[in-house]
Amino acid sequence: MRLDLSVLLPHLGFLAHGALLTAEACALALIGSVVMGAFVAIARTSSSALLQRVSYLYVDIFRNVPFIVQLFFLYYGLPEVGIYIDAFTTGVIALSIAGGAYASDVIRAGILAIDQGIIEAAEVSGLSRRVLFTRIVLPIALRTSVRPLGSVLINMTLTSSILSTITLNELTGSAQIVVSQTYRPFEVYVVLLVVYAALTYLVSLAIALLHRRLNRDMMEAVT
Amino acid sequence: MRFTDFTAFDLVLLAQGLGVNLALFLGTSLIGLVIGIAWAIVRYYRVPVLSAFITFFSELLKNSPVLVQLFLVFFGLPGLLHIRVTPVTAAAITLSANTAAFVYVIAVSGIESIGRDQLEAARVFGLSRWQVLRHIVAPQAAAFALGPLIALLVNQLQVTSLISVIGVVDLTKIGNILNMRTLKPFVVWTAVGLLYFAAAKLVAFAGSRFEKRLRAHSAWRGL
Repeated sequence: MRLDLSVLLPHLGFLAHGALLTAEACALALIGSVVMGAFVAIARTSSSALLQRVSYLYVDIFRNVPFIVQLFFLYYGLPEVGIYIDAFTTGVIALSIAGGAYASDVIRAGILAIDQGIIEAAEVSGLSRRVLFTRIVLPIALRTSVRPLGSVLINMTLTSSILSTITLNELTGSAQIVVSQTYRPFEVYVVLLVVYAALTYLVSLAIALLHRRLNRDMMEAVT
Repeated sequence: MRFTDFTAFDLVLLAQGLGVNLALFLGTSLIGLVIGIAWAIVRYYRVPVLSAFITFFSELLKNSPVLVQLFLVFFGLPGLLHIRVTPVTAAAITLSANTAAFVYVIAVSGIESIGRDQLEAARVFGLSRWQVLRHIVAPQAAAFALGPLIALLVNQLQVTSLISVIGVVDLTKIGNILNMRTLKPFVVWTAVGLLYFAAAKLVAFAGSRFEKRLRAHSAWRGL
């Protein structure tokens, strides 16, 4: 029994490349899921009962079916209907759809927390419904939900490790390759565990900073 | 010759896979609950070194992908300790520890939700620390923690789908096998997804029934 981390040194560049791919996938999926989540949140808070029901169904399904099943559904299913895209794009799409379900809940809570008076004031000022949403409701809702959106992002970073099962060589996938070259599974996976923890810690720090920056006008009122 | 049609036996296979998932889910949830609560009690008694270690360990488990933890236990431990680990054992160890880490956080917040004045009053009446924990803290903390706990369990049920990656023949693995044989991804993965969805809904339903009973003392009785 020995723990020798120096065997990893020649493979650090390769792992860093994988980490970069993870970061790319997560960044793209974050954008995708916030856009998706915003639309679904609008549908869920709309006055139309049909839209509400459909969007609730979407959130319910994608939160209660394991991500790996959703991923396989897309990865094996899309070529069946004639859509040939690579593993990276499939992964980003799957992450965006699954993340969108969680993001929509967060944004919906942000929308519901908006003071009714603000919306009424905007209506009275004669703003159209589209402008009301894009200029009044969404900025406020997104700003207050930065922190919970951050935990969606952290969850997404952890979930993105599952993309290695569809042959995408992101951080976990490249670690598997390193294991097959060095025959040192314990060292590699311990390092991987710590790297992921550090990554999510950095993300949460950045989120806290962003949250404080965006909501600085509210902070001053409190102090 | 390849046999590419669905047969009635496939249903048995799916049911078997779901059984594996549910059995592992129930087993690891129970073990995780016991360990997580034990860790919270260690923290309640403020054991010097141990509580700091537990906090660190649970943070590490919470902030790293379950997939990597599975790889660490299944591939890493045999390499390091020269022992044999079967996929089911590895899955049981990982999922139990992972559940314990989350239960620990929920239990700690449950314990901390109880006002200091109650604890002080109980101490004044001459109750020992254990009696306070047993008769004052535990019942209230349980009612407080049940909501997050059910959400956690629904989540952990989905996490069990990851054990297919290390070779446990669970529902996802069965789905993979059927998918490879029939080449009908949409049918297979929809069926698998529906089964997971139904299981998740069942857990949530059972949980809310139980929650209602635990909170019966403070429920609104009507005028």
